[in-house]
Amino acid sequence: MSALTQRLPKLGGAILRSVLIGLLAVAIFGPLLNMLIWTVAEAWYFPAKLPIRWGFQFWHRVFRPEAGAMAALWTSIIIALMTVALSLLVSIPAGYALSRRTLPLRGVFLLIFLLPQAFPAIAVHMNIARIFYGLGLNGTLWGVMLVHAIQGLVFSVWIASAAFASVDSEQVEAARNLGATPWRAFVSVSLPQAAPGLMASAIFVFLISLDEFSGTFFVGVPEVRTLPLTMLNAALEGNYQIASITALLLLVPSIAFMLFVEKFLKADVLAKVGT
Amino acid sequence: MKTPLRIVALAVSAALSTASMSAHAQTTLTVLSGGSQNMVDYVTDYLGPLFEKQNAGVKVVVVGVGPDDAGSQKILEKLQAQKGAATWDVDVIVPNQQKTGEMANAGLLLKYRDSIATGKYAVSQSSKQALGVNVDGYVMPMFESQTAMAYNPDLVKSPPSSYDELRAFVTKNPKQFGYNGLKNGMSGVAFVVGWMYAYGGNATALQQGPYDAAGKASSGWNKAYADLKVFNQSVTFTPGNAGTLDMLNRGEIAMGPVWVDMFYTWKADGRLSPSLKLKLLSPGMPGQPYYYAIPAKAKNADLAKKFIALATSPAVQAEGIVKRFNWYPGIDANAVKPALDPKVWANLFTDISPADLAKNGKPFPIAPFFTDLREQYEKQVGN
Amino acid sequence: MQKRSSYPLALLLLSPALLMVGLLFIYPLGYSLSYAFRNEKSATWDLSNFEKAFSLYGNDIVYTLVILVMATTLTGLFALAIGGYLTLGENKRAVSFLRWLYRWPLFIPMVVAGQLMRTFLAKNGMLNNALMSLGILDPINAMSMLDWRGVVITFVWKQLPFAALLISGAMASMDRSMIEAARNLGASRLRALVEIVIPQIKATLLVALILSFVTMLSALSVPMMIIAGSPTMITVDMAWRVNSYGDYGVANALGFISCAMSGVVAWFYLRHSVREQTATR
Repeated sequence: MSALTQRLPKLGGAILRSVLIGLLAVAIFGPLLNMLIWTVAEAWYFPAKLPIRWGFQFWHRVFRPEAGAMAALWTSIIIALMTVALSLLVSIPAGYALSRRTLPLRGVFLLIFLLPQAFPAIAVHMNIARIFYGLGLNGTLWGVMLVHAIQGLVFSVWIASAAFASVDSEQVEAARNLGATPWRAFVSVSLPQAAPGLMASAIFVFLISLDEFSGTFFVGVPEVRTLPLTMLNAALEGNYQIASITALLLLVPSIAFMLFVEKFLKADVLAKVGT
Repeated sequence: MKTPLRIVALAVSAALSTASMSAHAQTTLTVLSGGSQNMVDYVTDYLGPLFEKQNAGVKVVVVGVGPDDAGSQKILEKLQAQKGAATWDVDVIVPNQQKTGEMANAGLLLKYRDSIATGKYAVSQSSKQALGVNVDGYVMPMFESQTAMAYNPDLVKSPPSSYDELRAFVTKNPKQFGYNGLKNGMSGVAFVVGWMYAYGGNATALQQGPYDAAGKASSGWNKAYADLKVFNQSVTFTPGNAGTLDMLNRGEIAMGPVWVDMFYTWKADGRLSPSLKLKLLSPGMPGQPYYYAIPAKAKNADLAKKFIALATSPAVQAEGIVKRFNWYPGIDANAVKPALDPKVWANLFTDISPADLAKNGKPFPIAPFFTDLREQYEKQVGN
Repeated sequence: MQKRSSYPLALLLLSPALLMVGLLFIYPLGYSLSYAFRNEKSATWDLSNFEKAFSLYGNDIVYTLVILVMATTLTGLFALAIGGYLTLGENKRAVSFLRWLYRWPLFIPMVVAGQLMRTFLAKNGMLNNALMSLGILDPINAMSMLDWRGVVITFVWKQLPFAALLISGAMASMDRSMIEAARNLGASRLRALVEIVIPQIKATLLVALILSFVTMLSALSVPMMIIAGSPTMITVDMAWRVNSYGDYGVANALGFISCAMSGVVAWFYLRHSVREQTATR
């Protein structure tokens, strides 16, 4: 696409660019628009192409105090933040170690972290739950955090290892030659350079945790109840209104977290990158 | 890196303190509900608050795990996982028939029915047997659910009333009938079971046993499945129980098998035209109850018994199950009917008459036949 | 930095993460996987579950693989296009609009994405309705995409932002001087993308694609909600074995096959990084 735009006269290029970006916008927002309409559709059936009755009836239903949606949302956010913290804590050292391509058995280690995503969890959950019951972690925020972190670990570890691998080793050498300790070189050179990748992985882990429900059921219920758990039922049985409203609710912390990470990135880290 | 970490730490400590505070305040009765969202809402909005009002200091928490075998399987696995513990964290469960049978066989359930006052109202065959497994004493039925054919009267003037007529309809109107196959939800399974009752021969043996591994009872299956395979060429496949309703919603199919209780919920939520109707095909389509049961080592077993006694009292079955949701009551209908306005009672039978229901509402096959039936479908029709 | 760290230190750094996965996932997984080789009927260990898995679900295994390869390829191509334009685009407004635009599906949970697409891609769904209202589509030609096409579309829609975010991040942090030099020598932007940018971010591209592949492979809700009838994807078959028959044997055999698929895909990445390492030596 970019080659074409250059060769064509400027106007033609501009039109092509607008059309392509416009198509992408339609592809991305079409389904989202569908979701937004469902959140305010009170009656929508054949042969009507748009809702027959609009209104906020289902919002009242989601937010009725008995259902405890807000409390569940807070629990979800707290667990997601805890999961991100834990993931970064274990995946920064792991990713750093795995960034060295000559590490013996590196492939095996990387594959181990891939497993929790590669094996569809449906047949494993009961055994995982059994371990958690045995450790007394069931029904605690810690337990749910761990089960989410394991799902997210492949993202945080793999991305961290790629991020550290792309760190300019000459700069690290230079810092070491100037007398910096390995720790100092790590903190002042490697970590800032890997930060954009680490932050991207934090976003993914946050989202994984926020959307997860199967592990939460087996490890958290009944004491810990997250928002996706309440959505599970609605989603599985085609209650589009409830599921769409819940998804919209989950959108708020997701976007807030991403903006927060990006702002933090720009202010603190991007300034250091390349120094 | 300091700022975000501090925020996380603050949020975590806040969460932990609120969590521990609420834990001290009251006893929590935990209900895990299989089945549809409306069954969860029923406990959240009606039964839970009612029970809390009668029992100060008790908080009812209900968690929905999704419909069909998948949801009830999750309940089973949750109990299996804590089998070794002294007490279990679940007090009341609402599973479907097949999984209740498996739980009873695995010793995961408490025998409680005779110790509650409403136990005497459990009169139906299904309150004693779940797909051939003896569950007598372990369960109280919450409500009876039934599959039926939903159709759009604007598109189908004279709906078929039997499987034979349906076949004729499908030949004349290809792709107008849709169902969700086998792997995508129980309404599709129910349609297949009904087909086998009609054409597989010996439906009574399938429903009541005894199981014969030699396969005498299943001798007619091959022919029935071959016909079904041909029939499938002219139907529209739908993605799931909700998928069938969904396609009815958009007018992509004119007819399909659905759960009656889901059908009413979709209508109430504006996702189905109020003009859609139900019809029960002869020689019969299966239905099943959802049960109330208590896990063998439930932490609050006595409270759980009290809860179920309330839930299966004639007054609650009348007001909650029949009046609010238009579901068939789980307990003895003769006990429920007097508690209701006759008009409300009649509402239950707008589309399907009591006589139809008695004649064409069938149970699912006993468990070993049920397994064979599904596996044979996979081998002979699915591939 | 890398040369100085020793193997024991590396293991020490790895140990918290390994311990977590090992104790809380691999150990319970071992229990599950052992079922895959267990013959319940004869109470012995054999491959009968795998035989059954292949005979009943052989088609589904192939179908799954085809869907995933298509979805992963498309995700990769689109992500490269987006990343490439973000890096090489010259119209500032278009670049910043694109940057704002592409991420949205990232925030939609998989289960909701499946559901949205079910009402969006159906025969009388929102897409066809909109096209018909605009006169682009003839009602007679309207068809449902609730099959493999729907799944591929949903997966690409959901995974594209993930891959594009990783890839554009890698592109943004690379050394621009080579691109500038090539551009000054008259290379087109497409050529700069293919010959200069992509080789430099190949490792990230592979990571993004493998992680997308694996995420899609283990997704249950999307095929369950979108594919009508059979064939279907193997996660649906696994759920079906467990839920309907309580048959963990065949389910775990299918899980094993699913793992093997990811293993093969991951092997490409590992081989690539080994090759790169020998090249830089």
